[in-house]
Amino acid sequence: MQITFWGVRGSYPVPGAATVRYGGQTSCVEARSTSGETVIVDAGTGMRALGNKLLREATAPQHHHVLLSHVHWDHIQGLPFFSPAYIQGTKISIYALLTAADELQQVIGGITRHEFFPMALEAVPAAFEYHEVEPGVDFEIGGFRVTPIALNHPFGSVGYRLDCDGSAWAYVSDTAPFDQVLHKQHFLKGPEPLSEDDRIALGAMREALVQRLVGVDTVVYDTHFTEDEYARFPHYGHSTPDQALEICAAAKVRRLVLYHHAPSHGDEQMDKIAAEYLAKGAGVGVEVLTSFEGMTLPIGPEAT
Amino acid sequence: MKIRFWGVRGSFAMSGRDFLRYGGNTSSVELLTDAGQRLLIDLGTGATELGKQLMAGEFGKGQGSVPILLSHTHLDHIQGLPFFTPFFIKGNEIRILGASPSSGMSLESTLQNQLAPHYSPLNGLENLAAGVSIETLTPGSTITLPGFEVRTVAVPHGSMWTTAFRVTADGKTVTYLSDVEYPNVDDPLAEAIDLARDADLLVHDAMHADHDYDLRRGWGHSPARAGVVVAERAGAKKLALFHHSPDATDDMIDEVVSRTAARTAVPVFAAAEGSYLDV
Repeated sequence: MQITFWGVRGSYPVPGAATVRYGGQTSCVEARSTSGETVIVDAGTGMRALGNKLLREATAPQHHHVLLSHVHWDHIQGLPFFSPAYIQGTKISIYALLTAADELQQVIGGITRHEFFPMALEAVPAAFEYHEVEPGVDFEIGGFRVTPIALNHPFGSVGYRLDCDGSAWAYVSDTAPFDQVLHKQHFLKGPEPLSEDDRIALGAMREALVQRLVGVDTVVYDTHFTEDEYARFPHYGHSTPDQALEICAAAKVRRLVLYHHAPSHGDEQMDKIAAEYLAKGAGVGVEVLTSFEGMTLPIGPEAT
Repeated sequence: MKIRFWGVRGSFAMSGRDFLRYGGNTSSVELLTDAGQRLLIDLGTGATELGKQLMAGEFGKGQGSVPILLSHTHLDHIQGLPFFTPFFIKGNEIRILGASPSSGMSLESTLQNQLAPHYSPLNGLENLAAGVSIETLTPGSTITLPGFEVRTVAVPHGSMWTTAFRVTADGKTVTYLSDVEYPNVDDPLAEAIDLARDADLLVHDAMHADHDYDLRRGWGHSPARAGVVVAERAGAKKLALFHHSPDATDDMIDEVVSRTAARTAVPVFAAAEGSYLDV
């Protein structure tokens, strides 16, 4: 199995000279098994280039599988630009957590409402189907075993553990850490005081995440913020590299990949973050890499 | 009057080396009068950087006010809205003016839907700290904004309509005709030509290179040559090609500009992210 990063940015796409090396497109990762099966995780703007590549490779219409962590714009706005959707015979299965709505199809289809986009997803040649996921309830997509993991993000989000070819990687984005803020189904102007139940819920969420990550080779983690930025915006639903490293060390994973970079973090700052956490990770036995657009990582011990 | 392009790309923001000279951000334009009054058009991803720059001035202190005209609500023209930082500062007064989308949904409901809890952690316009007013424009009307007079007209954009703007300030005129496809691209609508009459600068949709257009007829965008015809017939003094295709690299845009310039006496350039230009 290998994974390829098509979009590594959080919040919104960032063109320009400052993002040439790490990339400016938003969340999208492609997992590919040794037999060539693929699963796409998140449908941010990176999905446009991925779609173009998949279309070039394909000799016949394909069945694509897309796991969504949640449906904030930066994780779904590539979907209407996924070129295989415009090919008759293509099938697209979407897997997502249902949050703040009654029906997945309505939410995902809603991104191409007449006001927002010229072509409705219901009207494109590809056939879409929708699957609701539930944290902890695993399922199979071809040779992949997929386990959704509850995360701490406004209105909810899920990470995924993907086992295939005898190894596993996990996608843990978007999530806040599990100590200061518990995200629920309402807007947070700032951090709210935690009740005892909130603390228990956060502890349980952290524990379940660590348990799911045990035995995973590579963890791709939301490390949007620096420590200073997190201190100012603890209620935004994102983590720092230190928080990710703490979780990965607790689960004894081999490798952590920093991901969902803040739009304001230019290439030079990313270089510094990459160097700092490569060294810090070595101190706790975790290899820390920093994702960039176009990066491909083999997964599993045989890959080293 | 000065103009600055903060986003010139159509449909989709493009990052990477091939898009550095013209810029990869989606539609966002700033107009500034000699007295410093400001008017923005569209809130594509270019508005994020514009918002940061504005924060250095009165908007950072919660004392800024600005009107924003929306040509329409396709995502590439509003996707910068949730990241336009002046919205997050209490005291700023921001007016958003646009026509109701042709679906019949109101402008306000459309923007609320963009910020709905499943799509955005902002969870609604009411959570923006600034004073925000959503004002519905009736295309065809002329409105007065501090320092600017704006004439509006509806133009066809595929299955919907967009609003085009003729903005006059300091005795100069800029016409913004983006996201438009005329029923006959070689014989543009009289309303569009009239809106660009004697304009000092015409900013026109040029999503497609002329040779690509036939494959994309009916998608709601113009080939570069449509702007030329409008500029020539309207007597516009200068033409800015705008809303570049996400597939158009810097080199490809260079080529479109030189081909377009070769066919007209109207000075032509491709809109690029960058500095303030005198109109």
